[in-house]
Amino acid sequence: MKQRTNIALFTALVATTGWAQEISVQGITIAQMWKQETPGFDKATYTPATQYLGIDATKLGTDKLSLHLFGWGRSDLGDSSVLDGTKSGGYLTYGYLQYQFDKANAEVKAGRFAVNQGAGFEQVDGVSARTDLRGGFTVSGFYGLPVLYRTVTPLAQADYKFQRDVIYGSRLGWRSTKGLELGVSYLQDGAKAAKDLAIPSATDYSRKQVGVDLAVTPTTVFDFRGRTIFDVASHRAPAAGTAEPSKVAEHDYTASVKLGGAVAVSGSYVERNFFAYFAGTNLPSLFRQDERDLFKATGGKITWAAASSVQVVADYRRTHRESYGDANRAGADVRMDFLEKAVLAGVGAHWVSVGDVKRVDPLTPYRSLSHKEARAWVLVNKGKLSASLDGIVQYYDSSNPYVAGLRTVYEAVGSLGYQATSNLKVSGDLSYGSNPVSKHETRGLLKAEYRFGVGKKGGQ
Amino acid sequence: MIGKPMLKVLGILLGLGVLMACGLISPEASFAPTHPQELGAGRPVCSECHSTDVAKGALKPFASFDHTASFVKDHRFQANQDINTCASCHAQSFCSDCHGGKVPMKPALRLSGRPDREAPHRGDFMTLHRIEGKLDPTSCFKCHGRANNEKCQACHR
Repeated sequence: MKQRTNIALFTALVATTGWAQEISVQGITIAQMWKQETPGFDKATYTPATQYLGIDATKLGTDKLSLHLFGWGRSDLGDSSVLDGTKSGGYLTYGYLQYQFDKANAEVKAGRFAVNQGAGFEQVDGVSARTDLRGGFTVSGFYGLPVLYRTVTPLAQADYKFQRDVIYGSRLGWRSTKGLELGVSYLQDGAKAAKDLAIPSATDYSRKQVGVDLAVTPTTVFDFRGRTIFDVASHRAPAAGTAEPSKVAEHDYTASVKLGGAVAVSGSYVERNFFAYFAGTNLPSLFRQDERDLFKATGGKITWAAASSVQVVADYRRTHRESYGDANRAGADVRMDFLEKAVLAGVGAHWVSVGDVKRVDPLTPYRSLSHKEARAWVLVNKGKLSASLDGIVQYYDSSNPYVAGLRTVYEAVGSLGYQATSNLKVSGDLSYGSNPVSKHETRGLLKAEYRFGVGKKGGQ
Repeated sequence: MIGKPMLKVLGILLGLGVLMACGLISPEASFAPTHPQELGAGRPVCSECHSTDVAKGALKPFASFDHTASFVKDHRFQANQDINTCASCHAQSFCSDCHGGKVPMKPALRLSGRPDREAPHRGDFMTLHRIEGKLDPTSCFKCHGRANNEKCQACHR
């Protein structure tokens, strides 16, 4: 969507709040300053200022109509520009009118919103609607334009922008009283496949996917959920001697069982075939994923409530990627809370073991992706004051070429906050770290968070 | 060009109208738009108050929404199938804290004073992404996938 269309849409939506009987405004102003010292380069100082703004306006003439807006703007206060080469920017994350009906969980949305139903998790400029039907059925659908970000090279964007001219989808679900839910969904992104363009393109950004999802929760102690997504688009014929790619884009399933009141065990299985899952990517060929590649993962997790205020989680995951081989990830986390949750704390450690990967470099023919990670944090809330400390350390193998000989990478962040009024909180962070890009990195961050109005949602 | 999309929108609205006219819409009251009682600090355990038992005819067990470590990691399924339940406590901005699409800073930096939130990309993710991207590039897809990768193109030109 063009910049001026965005501005006009945003202005119109903000003006709509004038009719609201209840308005909740939340804003976060963040001023950062960080210094980087990169070997071989001059020391650099960055000073970006960022403003987040969210508005929830309800009862717009009727109790059922509401408006929801959230976006941000950023400007660099110094001479340096941030990594993407721009000194300022902004984005409307979402902005939509919503009409909610008293019955059947029915609702209609119009504007920019996120869609998360069946096969699709998308940002859309358009309309959506959903309702429950008799007999446990539910139906939903959306239609609009896909939200595309501006890329650094506009020329590279033209190709996929032309193909991705529309996005729509729907889901039909059914839920039984015995704890079973089934869903069938469809997603189409782009009207024309690459092979159907006037000048056929080598890369296809369009998608046609059918998804099936299910949830089995026959009791309060067992939960099985997941989905399978199929690629139903017609593609150009594979090269001679090449096998037809799988039509399965994704299997993603997880099951959990609660054993007594203190232990929960869960297991998961994921499989993704890149050709069917990714569609096109606008990255240069050097960085593109091999579209014939396959990813699989199986894992498990045990959660133990050792005491009312102590939770221990042990996890394991084995991943397989055809081009990079297998990896094993294992570890444990402990979360604690004290003094009626006034003090929260956690410690954790994980090991990732990966087979050596071949590298096109005669000096270091193999590279190791194995690494270890440890983290500890504490958060204290006392009266109007809050304080937190968070430290993370990563250890890499010496044959990992990405760490430039620096095997230990770390970052520590301290934060102090003061709830000045019920609506205003100010806080400051100070962090220090060392990593392969910046031998020394010091970062300061000042934050002001304010909320006005009657809104209770947000999960803060 | 504009006529065809408008026709499809009209088609959707017409379809909904037909559903209403046929009396297929559920007569049940909608899910509570906001949680009736204010929740305390920290992660809620829904089943502490909601003893819903599907064996007695309830449609969903609230125990499956307890915010355990597994739930936090795997909430994509519940968000996909039961977004109304999430919306009774969380505004969409809560989702956008991590799933914001185009963002000016990584979620872990924005939520640096809330280490309990387990926001993604803590620490030096710049180094780690070269490894994670090789082990499982599909995990990057939801936020940075395919054509929506402005941040990727800043370096991977």
